[in-house]
Amino acid sequence: MEQIHVDKTASRGIAAALVYRYLEPDLMPDTQRITKEQVSEEKKKFDSARSAVIRELEELAAGNEIFAAHLEIAGDFTLQDAVENKIAEEGKNAQMALQESIDEIAAIFEAMDDAYMKERGADIKDIGKRLMAKLKGVKRPDLGDIRSEVIVTAKDLYPSDTVKLNPAFVKGIITEEGGITSHVSIIAKSMNIPTLVGVKGILAKLKEDCMVCMDAGQGIIVIDPDEKVRREYKEKEEAYDQERARLVSLRNRPAVTKEGKRISLCANVGNVEDIRNALPMNIDGVGLFRSEFLYMENDHFPTEEEQYQVYKEAAQLIPDELTIRTLDIGGDKELSYFEFEKEENPFLGWRAIRISLDMKEMFKEQIRAILRASAFGHVRIMFPMIISLEELRAAKEIVEECKQEMDTEGVEYDRNIECGMMMETPASVLLAEEFAKEADFFSIGTNDLTQYLLAVDRGNKKIADRYSYFHPAVVRAIGQIIKAGHKEGIKVGMCGEMAGDSSAVPILLELGLDEFSMSAGSIDYVREQILN
Amino acid sequence: MVTQKVTVINPSGLHARPAAVLAKAAGKCKSNAVILYGDKKIQIKSILSIMGAGVKKGAEVEIQCDGETEKEDLKMLVELIESGLGE
Repeated sequence: MEQIHVDKTASRGIAAALVYRYLEPDLMPDTQRITKEQVSEEKKKFDSARSAVIRELEELAAGNEIFAAHLEIAGDFTLQDAVENKIAEEGKNAQMALQESIDEIAAIFEAMDDAYMKERGADIKDIGKRLMAKLKGVKRPDLGDIRSEVIVTAKDLYPSDTVKLNPAFVKGIITEEGGITSHVSIIAKSMNIPTLVGVKGILAKLKEDCMVCMDAGQGIIVIDPDEKVRREYKEKEEAYDQERARLVSLRNRPAVTKEGKRISLCANVGNVEDIRNALPMNIDGVGLFRSEFLYMENDHFPTEEEQYQVYKEAAQLIPDELTIRTLDIGGDKELSYFEFEKEENPFLGWRAIRISLDMKEMFKEQIRAILRASAFGHVRIMFPMIISLEELRAAKEIVEECKQEMDTEGVEYDRNIECGMMMETPASVLLAEEFAKEADFFSIGTNDLTQYLLAVDRGNKKIADRYSYFHPAVVRAIGQIIKAGHKEGIKVGMCGEMAGDSSAVPILLELGLDEFSMSAGSIDYVREQILN
Repeated sequence: MVTQKVTVINPSGLHARPAAVLAKAAGKCKSNAVILYGDKKIQIKSILSIMGAGVKKGAEVEIQCDGETEKEDLKMLVELIESGLGE
């Protein structure tokens, strides 16, 4: 028995089954050089392989967008030109010419800085394998042939492989390569198959027909488990499935406490995709839209128009409440296209609202984008890291300035848009009563608040045990913030880790918290606690 | 030769699916169609060329058609991109 811990969970869940090693046949190209006389023959070989693959893909492409794209790629003249050129000019046989062309094209995609496009290199390689198998006259294994419960392990799984995947038999997936945005991860999540990706060296450790237990949520793989562990996982699997079904059945119930108080249950998101994933959980809104991802995933400061498109789409998706936090970079979050000076204490340095107020033109682009999107839903603006009334006023002043500009331009926006603030600095706690008079809402950021109140770096493993949002000082601070907010009649929410911790729900309800905002994965659990 | 500017509205830019739709449509054009994006020249009839350029959402690109049916082709391609390429 051996236990492995890994950290790339692509899809949560528990499984225990025999291993199915999904191995590619040998697709190494023949390295034989060709003579001038063989050129047309090699071109013909490639051409007939290409026609055969196109026929295969035409069948798969009906109703499947991924294969529709594969079909276009297989028939693409760029690929054909590259292969034929290598055959005619470089004296390479069809297999070598194909391999080199595919590698070159895939490398272009893999060098891109966008995670999605990077993964598209896998699509190119998938088509390359299809073509190579035809050229070599070998058959690739087929996941559709599996007829008993197994955990599939493979180097990586491509769209061609997963299309045949039957969740009735494939109980889990472990791959050596791939990231959590890779094709296999997306498919596994949509089929609810427990999946771990990027598990280096797993194929060498797993023999054919050995037993494996996995807890994908925890990132645990047990190889050759003994009878006791096996039973344990079977029980865990059943309990997990039942628990999931029960939690899902609670989703249609609004989050109302026993005392009859209606609580807002919201999601923390980084992009529009996150909102789509959270929608099935019947959320009351988005309590934190982290706008910094728009800045971090770009190669330039996103323009007003670029931001507007994203915020607008988000506002239309979630009409109830969309809280957009203005740019929160610095600290541990950097931008590839903007150089930050090295700082002794980045968490106490030039970050968040401090940057926005110093770079007014950039800040205005963001505010204008948010205001324009506010015409499409209930959008709220939230400022991070505020320590003084002067800062809050300065930020609100800029919002007013943008509104006036837009009035002159005749651009639509929500005139009653709320401007609130994160409560995450000790200063904001001590001045909460004053802030409550000028902010339209509060949202408690427990991660920074805990770190600043306790003077404990949350990234430092040596003192990790001292970092706790249950520390009496943190709990008291939260209580004071809520009390100050309610005194002025404003809504108080929380968007830090604590809001997604179901064990913290009772105390937060006791303190009077109005809104809980957390990552989508925690929503079902927190709803259950609130209902109880 | 005719040209026109158009903004890409697809949420993830010209990624695999919209690129496939675009390449397929361009394949029917009799004129030679390219997209000018920054300093890149993209062959619209090639999905690989489109995807490889990594055109992001909100990017303004210039379509250029040259040949027999250039006017109709340009109009069709611009409208197709403006409509979001089936997404």
